[in-house]
Amino acid sequence: MATERGLIIMVDWKRVRNDFSALERTINGRPVVYLDSACMALKPRQVIDAMNEYYEQYPACGGRSIHKFGEEASNAYSASRGKFARFINAAQQEECIWTRNATESLNMVASSARLPKGSKIITTSLEHHSGSLPFVERAKRDGLDIEIVKAQPDGTFDIEDWKRAIDNKTSLVSVVHSSNVTGTVAPMKEIVEIAHDRGALVMSDDAQYAPHHPLDVQALDVDFSAISVHKMCGPTGMGVLYGKMEHLESMNMCLYGGDTVSDVRFENNKILPDYLPPPEKFEAGLQNYAGAIGAGAAAEYLQSIGMREIEKHERSLLEMALKRMLDMEQVHILGTDDISIKTGLVTFTVDTVSSAHDVATFLNDEFNVMVRSGWHCVGPFHYQMKIDPKMGTVRASFYIYNNQSDVTIFLEGLDALIEASS
Amino acid sequence: MQAVSPRLTMSDLSKNAQCVLKILENADSLTTSEILELAHTEEYAELCTDCAGGDAFVAAANQLVEKGLITKKFGKGGYRWQLKGD
Repeated sequence: MATERGLIIMVDWKRVRNDFSALERTINGRPVVYLDSACMALKPRQVIDAMNEYYEQYPACGGRSIHKFGEEASNAYSASRGKFARFINAAQQEECIWTRNATESLNMVASSARLPKGSKIITTSLEHHSGSLPFVERAKRDGLDIEIVKAQPDGTFDIEDWKRAIDNKTSLVSVVHSSNVTGTVAPMKEIVEIAHDRGALVMSDDAQYAPHHPLDVQALDVDFSAISVHKMCGPTGMGVLYGKMEHLESMNMCLYGGDTVSDVRFENNKILPDYLPPPEKFEAGLQNYAGAIGAGAAAEYLQSIGMREIEKHERSLLEMALKRMLDMEQVHILGTDDISIKTGLVTFTVDTVSSAHDVATFLNDEFNVMVRSGWHCVGPFHYQMKIDPKMGTVRASFYIYNNQSDVTIFLEGLDALIEASS
Repeated sequence: MQAVSPRLTMSDLSKNAQCVLKILENADSLTTSEILELAHTEEYAELCTDCAGGDAFVAAANQLVEKGLITKKFGKGGYRWQLKGD
């Protein structure tokens, strides 16, 4: 898909868009403008085909069944883990655990990582509820301290705040790599360096980062990373927990049962299990084979375009949108407008309507522009910014299949909304 | 079972949708923010439990429009919602 001419990578973005059949639809005679990829990315034919191939050609259990279908399912399942490991540059594919979503990945670490008694967890006011609540509850469960680093009003972090908060008592830092509200990218490398210097582990919430930027877990040296596959053109109900092998080995298991064991002996009227190493120790029971195969296909698809190119493409659309929105005096953008530290999304409120939901409803009804309104599961930052969460903010997010025409229609919709509501 | 239309009863609707209907039963027409504010009051606390972020709630209101049970109109300040007359 991406072709290299000397050092210049050329992506045929029109061809990319054509991979997404949902965009062929018209509603009320108008094209669809899908700007809700931060919630759910559309799925390309390549991913759907890979999953259909499993269901149609070899819909069997992987790992156990000796027959041909079983062998093909096992091979495809294993190959997908390898594809995903390459996507995030994990040192070994066994460091990638299949989960249901980033939320489950975060919960697994929060509930099962070995954190010393009396230690401290640090998280932030900008976390998705899935990035903060599991750690709030872990601290409550084990009587650990928890400290919150406040994001700046523009969604960035002051590195001095991290230096102050992370001390020798800190056992784990959970931080959102790219915010699903402000789109701001956290200075992960610096945070990891400070944390490791003081003996703390770092859990990176990459749900919004992995689909839109090149993610190299080894270069960043994060200890854990949580990824939602449905946000990166893959199937719903699939996620990944990346963990350094040494940490995965020391973590307690979350579920027990079939496929997690090397042996289950029966001696002296006792059942005595011997458990497998990661990833199997975290993948109990029948797995979502089609989902894992789709996840591998999604990783491969995005890599065929090029993550650096994807980042550039989204930022170019964001720049176009921001340029015009900053001139709209009724529109207030939440977070920085510095696109060099942003994922391709913009969150905002409009003065002329009292609720963000009115903006989302109007854009959908009148322009087929699909955006998200609400608190985006980030209550604390809305409260911090004194925005009533139930009135919410509007988020427009751009991805590989969006183009300048989408941005133009979105901006036309905003103009029409302001005129009609003033 | 309370009928909300010839083909629908209250139990056919989501809890959020029931909440929107209850609120609109007691008013002429309301803006989105007025509905959300009322949903947070003690009076509707039992029925209206999913309105913290407002989104699921407004999605339910839009579904009621699709079902022909309420109407919405956009104007100064945003949408106004009301029960559909007979």
